[in-house]
Amino acid sequence: MHAKLLTAVVTAAAVASPAIAQDALRIGASLPLTGNFSVSGEKHEQGYSLCVDLINESGGLLGRQVELLVSDNRSDNATAISQYERFINVNGVEAVFGTFSSRLTFPVASILSRNGFVHPVPAGGALRIYTQGYEGIYYLQPNAAEYVGSSLRDLIADRVDEAERPSSVAIVWADDFFANAVAAGLLGQQVMDPADGSLVADLAPGYLVESGLEIVMEERWPEEGFNDWLNLANSIKNSGAELIVGLTASAEEASQLTRALQTVRADPKMVYLSQGTQAEYFEGVGSASNGVLVHTSWHPNAPFEGVLGDAPFTNADFIAAFEEANGFAPDEDSAIPFAVCQTMAQAINATGTTDNQVLDEWLSARTLEDPVRTILGRFAWDETGLPIGKPFLMAQWQNDGELNFVYPLDEFPGTADLVHPKNGWE
Amino acid sequence: MEQIIQVAVLGIGLGGVFALMGAGLSLVFGVMRIVNLAHPSLIIGGAYLAYWGFRIYGIDPLIMLPVCALVLAATGVLFYKVFFERDAKSATYSEMTVLLTFAIAMIVEGALGAAFSNTQRVTSPSYATDAFFIGNVFIPKGQLYAGITSIVIIGLLAAFLKFSRLGYAIRATTQNREAAALLGVNVNMVGLMSFAIGIGLAGAAGALTSFVFSFFPAKHWEWVAVLMSLVVMGGMGSILGTVVAAFSLSIVAAFVGTWIGSTWSTMTFFLALFLVLLFRPQGLFGEKPELV
Repeated sequence: MHAKLLTAVVTAAAVASPAIAQDALRIGASLPLTGNFSVSGEKHEQGYSLCVDLINESGGLLGRQVELLVSDNRSDNATAISQYERFINVNGVEAVFGTFSSRLTFPVASILSRNGFVHPVPAGGALRIYTQGYEGIYYLQPNAAEYVGSSLRDLIADRVDEAERPSSVAIVWADDFFANAVAAGLLGQQVMDPADGSLVADLAPGYLVESGLEIVMEERWPEEGFNDWLNLANSIKNSGAELIVGLTASAEEASQLTRALQTVRADPKMVYLSQGTQAEYFEGVGSASNGVLVHTSWHPNAPFEGVLGDAPFTNADFIAAFEEANGFAPDEDSAIPFAVCQTMAQAINATGTTDNQVLDEWLSARTLEDPVRTILGRFAWDETGLPIGKPFLMAQWQNDGELNFVYPLDEFPGTADLVHPKNGWE
Repeated sequence: MEQIIQVAVLGIGLGGVFALMGAGLSLVFGVMRIVNLAHPSLIIGGAYLAYWGFRIYGIDPLIMLPVCALVLAATGVLFYKVFFERDAKSATYSEMTVLLTFAIAMIVEGALGAAFSNTQRVTSPSYATDAFFIGNVFIPKGQLYAGITSIVIIGLLAAFLKFSRLGYAIRATTQNREAAALLGVNVNMVGLMSFAIGIGLAGAAGALTSFVFSFFPAKHWEWVAVLMSLVVMGGMGSILGTVVAAFSLSIVAAFVGTWIGSTWSTMTFFLALFLVLLFRPQGLFGEKPELV
């Protein structure tokens, strides 16, 4: 049976002798290597593994080699919980890396908080995760999913001439933890605490209304088993919306929705998707991707300078190392977990310990002037564990396969011209 | 009116694909009483073959279809010999095969993940995202070609079962395995051939789904419940029933998705499954089990 179906143990290449293995600094990560999140889960494993391998090549952490324990949670909540408990209580890990998706992160956060472990989260942007009062949780993307829509609002305001702006919007989304959260921000919904029903945030009037858009269609599709993409696309087309917002939970859904919109020949001015930065998205939709906007936490051209071990490690270094190790280019699903690993490595090196309480104190003391430095840029967090002062990047597929960042304008040089309006699907 | 026609067209297109996906499952259950939960994972296997044929050699998935069917049929022979033949006479064979095929599904998923990675794939022949337009009504070419191909294959299968010698034997074994054996039918060979044909149909369905849906190794979990609902509604073992269920449920789901909401379109299949089990457990075309 494929090793990923078993409890996989990915051991750093440098862990060779029993003596070193016994003294290895163990870090656990439960990832969805199979099941619905497997596409992203596999890439997360690649990001974590590369980072650990590079750390070990440069001498490890605190003079010890790092051993990464990766378990396949099959995209299942209960399995993810039990695997982190096993890491802590059986495997004796000294630190953990987070899992993928808000749905899996939400229950895992409770377990890690209860055990006093620092919880660096690569993908778990739903605001409700950060309003539970968990200690030691740190999100490694720019902001909570509910606030993603602010980038779309600002892009329309700053980069599209008033006469060319879309006037109506069809918003469709997956009934998924993450997509629901993004939709809540765009539609101005109230976010409630699932534990006691209390109000977490009132997002009214919503970014779409703030952009002056008339909402002509709202539709949600089920999280799993949805196949009727053409019918959904036909309804979107019939709505006559000039902006299509597709909050897909995966790149696979983004591909399905784009192909369906192309097939029915919908003709919007602008298309924004919540997933679709991956190369596989372009492979699936080809030139139909031209003009499609996607928000992202990472971009290959972003000149971020991080730290790995004690040495500088830039975004370009990451891309080169990833391509050498895997033979293909990375995307954000590998870059974000790499940044998670960088964060923990910096905390351990800076404090000289793996005591999670000390690590938590060090991470919570980061400021914009003295941040954690990663290939996703600089990170400092507020008291809930959400990053401070980091905008999402807005990228646009252009010129048959180029994913160029188009917003914000002042984050770093190289912002591409916005292609607007979207010119069909060919 | 145009809207009604449009939605019906989309439902029919989806139904054509589901019909072939479910036909092999139904055949295998009818003859062997194997509840093959691994069937959708083998469809994914066929889809990968079609994908790589298209990606590496530029072969259209419709041309790759026979290759996919033959490779999967050969896989079916192997699986039958290794996993299913030995216990075919067991009184609890059907129950055992549920667990066995569940395990096989996980093995196939893992093997596909190891061989092809967990990245989603889709083949992109030009017709996959194109459509014929009749007035304002569009007919998606991908689903149209897939649906027509499905119907042709199922028609050939029906003719084979009705007119060939092996077809007679398969039908006899489906109706009464013991009686067929007493009359000289080599039921073990019939089981082997039926299983191979059933899995071959999975391969053919995989070639078609490769350009209709995107797929990745774990995608089969999303299909297994839908396909089971088709087979149960049609009557376990009735290929005609599966085809009727595929078209009718897909059309209903399309209307539900349009006028009630996409959230509920998938629910249509499970609601149908629930109602059939409640009021007509033998399905539309199945035979009512006799009390012994």
